[in-house]
Amino acid sequence: MTESHALLQVQEIDLLLQEWSLPVSRVRLGRLGFAPGDDRSLHRTRQRLFTTVDRRWQRLYERALSRYGRGVVGVRERVCQGCRITLPTSAAPGPGESLTLCESCGRILYWG
Amino acid sequence: MSILLSPPLLDSSLCIPELKSRTRDAALAEVVQSLSGGVVRDAALLRESLTRRERLASTAIGKGLAFPNVRTLSVGESRMILARSSRGVPWDAVDQVPVHLLCAVLSPAEWSEEMHHESLTRAVNALRLQRQRQKLIDAEGLPALRDLWRELLS
Repeated sequence: MTESHALLQVQEIDLLLQEWSLPVSRVRLGRLGFAPGDDRSLHRTRQRLFTTVDRRWQRLYERALSRYGRGVVGVRERVCQGCRITLPTSAAPGPGESLTLCESCGRILYWG
Repeated sequence: MSILLSPPLLDSSLCIPELKSRTRDAALAEVVQSLSGGVVRDAALLRESLTRRERLASTAIGKGLAFPNVRTLSVGESRMILARSSRGVPWDAVDQVPVHLLCAVLSPAEWSEEMHHESLTRAVNALRLQRQRQKLIDAEGLPALRDLWRELLS
């Protein structure tokens, strides 16, 4: 598994953990008929995946996550979906790169 | 915040008249595979996220219904994919009834929990009544299924 794929998975797990950590969210899901779950193994998986990511990206991810609730955001039509700024063409990942940073908000960009 | 379910929420690629899969994980993979090019940015990531959500707690809510759902970086727009299985897929439901109708609800990662749950509520409400579920099960062919599903969601 590549480092960028691991980081994307961490982001997806964090979205799930955020959803399940909110009491109001759990109540809403319960009303719809969804069973409650135990998120302990999800925390362990997150930890395992996160340790495979380079320390620099770990720091950048945690910083954006604590500030905005998202460490990684998508890019659509060259627009950062976190801060909605149009990114310069130079912001696109170069050969051999898969992750870049939004210079405006500091979130990690997913160009997928 | 109001929810905008932007078109095309439904198109022919987002209804599967008959699932070939016999297991939950295979059915999830089939749903992901059915999404035509451009809809999903990273099929592997989406498949993993849907499977992980199921491991957290089953999304089968009984009465032969399942609503696999995630907020994910893999989609840029909200999507609902309806799939049928006449055989039924074992899904670890609370009532242990195999799943005959599933609706995958995919929301972009930027969406709040609330927006995602609104979308999920819409899907659950569309399938709440037995007569609505039976109509979907009985619908013959993709166009009839798609039209009916569109009507139930509106």
